[in-house]
Amino acid sequence: MSNYFEDLAKSVIAGQQERVKELTRQALDAGTDPVEIINQGLIAGMNVVGARFKVGQMFVPEVLMSARAMNGGMDLVKPLLVGQELPSAGKVVLGTVKGDLHDIGKNLVGMMLESAGFTVVNLGVDAGPDKFLQAIKEHKPGVIGMSALLTTTMLSMKDTIEVLKEEGLRNKVKVIVGGAPISQDFAEEIGADGFAPDAASATDLCKKLLA
Amino acid sequence: MPVKSNYVANATPLFSILSPGQCEEILFAAEEVLERTGVTVHDEEARDILKKAGCWLDGIRVRIPSAVVDRALNSVPKRVTLCNSRTGSRDVLLEGNNAYFGTGSDTPFTIDPYTGQRKRSTKQSVSWACKVIDALPNLDFVMSLGIVQDVPLLISDRHQFEAQVLNTGKPIVTTAHDIYGFADIIEMCEIIAGGEEELRRNPFMTLYAEPISPLQHAWEAASKLVLAARKGLPVVYTPCVMAGGTVPATMAGVLTNGLAESLSGLVINQATREGSPFIMGGVFTIMDMSSTIFSYGSPEFNLLMSALADMAHYLKLPMFGTAGCSDACVVDEQAGIEAALSIAMTALSGPNLNHDVGYIEYGSTSSLEYLTINNDVIGMARRLVRGIKVNDETLALDLIDKVGPGGHFLAEDHTMKYFKTETYYPELINRQRYDAWKEDGAKTLFQRANEKVKDIIENYQPEPLPADVQQKIRAVVERAEQKVR
Repeated sequence: MSNYFEDLAKSVIAGQQERVKELTRQALDAGTDPVEIINQGLIAGMNVVGARFKVGQMFVPEVLMSARAMNGGMDLVKPLLVGQELPSAGKVVLGTVKGDLHDIGKNLVGMMLESAGFTVVNLGVDAGPDKFLQAIKEHKPGVIGMSALLTTTMLSMKDTIEVLKEEGLRNKVKVIVGGAPISQDFAEEIGADGFAPDAASATDLCKKLLA
Repeated sequence: MPVKSNYVANATPLFSILSPGQCEEILFAAEEVLERTGVTVHDEEARDILKKAGCWLDGIRVRIPSAVVDRALNSVPKRVTLCNSRTGSRDVLLEGNNAYFGTGSDTPFTIDPYTGQRKRSTKQSVSWACKVIDALPNLDFVMSLGIVQDVPLLISDRHQFEAQVLNTGKPIVTTAHDIYGFADIIEMCEIIAGGEEELRRNPFMTLYAEPISPLQHAWEAASKLVLAARKGLPVVYTPCVMAGGTVPATMAGVLTNGLAESLSGLVINQATREGSPFIMGGVFTIMDMSSTIFSYGSPEFNLLMSALADMAHYLKLPMFGTAGCSDACVVDEQAGIEAALSIAMTALSGPNLNHDVGYIEYGSTSSLEYLTINNDVIGMARRLVRGIKVNDETLALDLIDKVGPGGHFLAEDHTMKYFKTETYYPELINRQRYDAWKEDGAKTLFQRANEKVKDIIENYQPEPLPADVQQKIRAVVERAEQKVR
């Protein structure tokens, strides 16, 4: 049994989606608990990937391949989790703020969060306070993340936070911000809960805020 | 005297990445991208203009037939001249392989030369930067080296332009938040030039705008291309593409996708008014797959810059390049290495208007010390490009015979005549002997640069604009401030 887990984890780390699917099927056929497959195989592999990325031993495309391999397995296991909660690190709503169409960084944050086990709702670009507000009401995330590349559009982050206060939702959700012109000082100034300079630290920040 | 047949001389070193055949292949590939995949244009007016020009619209998605691209390539001027705002002198001729160097624009941060601290850039930091650029002989044009952030941000572009134009006469490449900011800046330029036509005839300002990679023209960018064309003023359009991120990881794929972004911008501009001056930009580089930064110092960044320069020469388009910048977070050995490589390769390749000299931290922070050090590097690179002249006078056979074995050349007229023109003397680079260097305070290159920066800030006075012109410019800035209050 443990061999399945070890092979699964290794295949996730190697980013081999077909192999992960095959092993997942074999494990399920052998009667392995789906939750165990997730925790001891798929997630265990992804945890190694996260750690290796952090120390520069793995690169972004490799991490995303691993995430894709993991999801290949997840898709097979998920339907069997009847009545059981799918393990999730938390839910995060992400968006590039109003007036801004730059989204490569924000999308990278989303993919890294997903590969770390978070559920991500991506609002896309040009997301004003209303869009975030609506998403919070609909998805009830633990964290919202706002991204901006421009000094003119970053002002919209403060507007969103103000709207959350007016709606009485500010204490129900953590707010994080990022993007080229953003700094820790700016995050504090506008009353955000955190700032992350890159996708990897955004993941750490979300883990910390939801711990 | 014999005649020499079949004699080939290199007036300069020869340096190229792409052959004409490869340039053609990449051009055709970019045209295929525009016909097949197309771009998104988030500006209704620009879409209307494109439709009238023969493009195919599908919502905001615009596909551009190759014939429309070819027409734009034919109508765009092959050269653009930029002037000094004080003297009117036509100093910067963007044509052929002429390489000029200047700074970069919108860093959120700058290093304070007095405290050494990284801080948000301000109107004062931009004013200081422009003074320093104005004083440095190897810098040919100005970009602000920081976003002015201690004024209302929505109209900070007007303040940024005011800080630039008050502190330098060199041509300015400026950013604007949108067409309203751009219009105010044009108005300031027309005041200085003495009228709309005067500015068009002798432009000392060009606007910088950029698409969003991959293949997107935001409203701000597309509308600026349209306004620049209507005004007949030059515009720089610079795709910033990341290999493996916003474009393919392969260098040829980067060039193709980046060029498609440039050419679609060119079409918007030329379809608005044929013959409008347009400068093709391009910061083509990699996304570092470990840190995810947009690299300003990688070898691929230099390789792509030189390849794009080959492409620009092939297309006969004036080009906006990038050099003298670094991923290093402080001005250290890495910063020196990356600047030397990029400046040398840029000078050898000959893109025309080369910006970002003085950027550190992958384009997030500016350093006046780094700028000042790079002033020397540009001088050194220019010496490389001047190459070696081979003729009777430079071969100096009579002189070699006259001096003979065991003699010396130190006191010869020939030496006196040539040693200064054949040799470049950098200002801050150390060639002192050890004892003299120690006597002089044992200073590092950075320390010497810092002293020079402070000396310029405290003692150099750029040629001022007439008082009444300054007042009129101030009035434009204040009018914008009133609107956001």
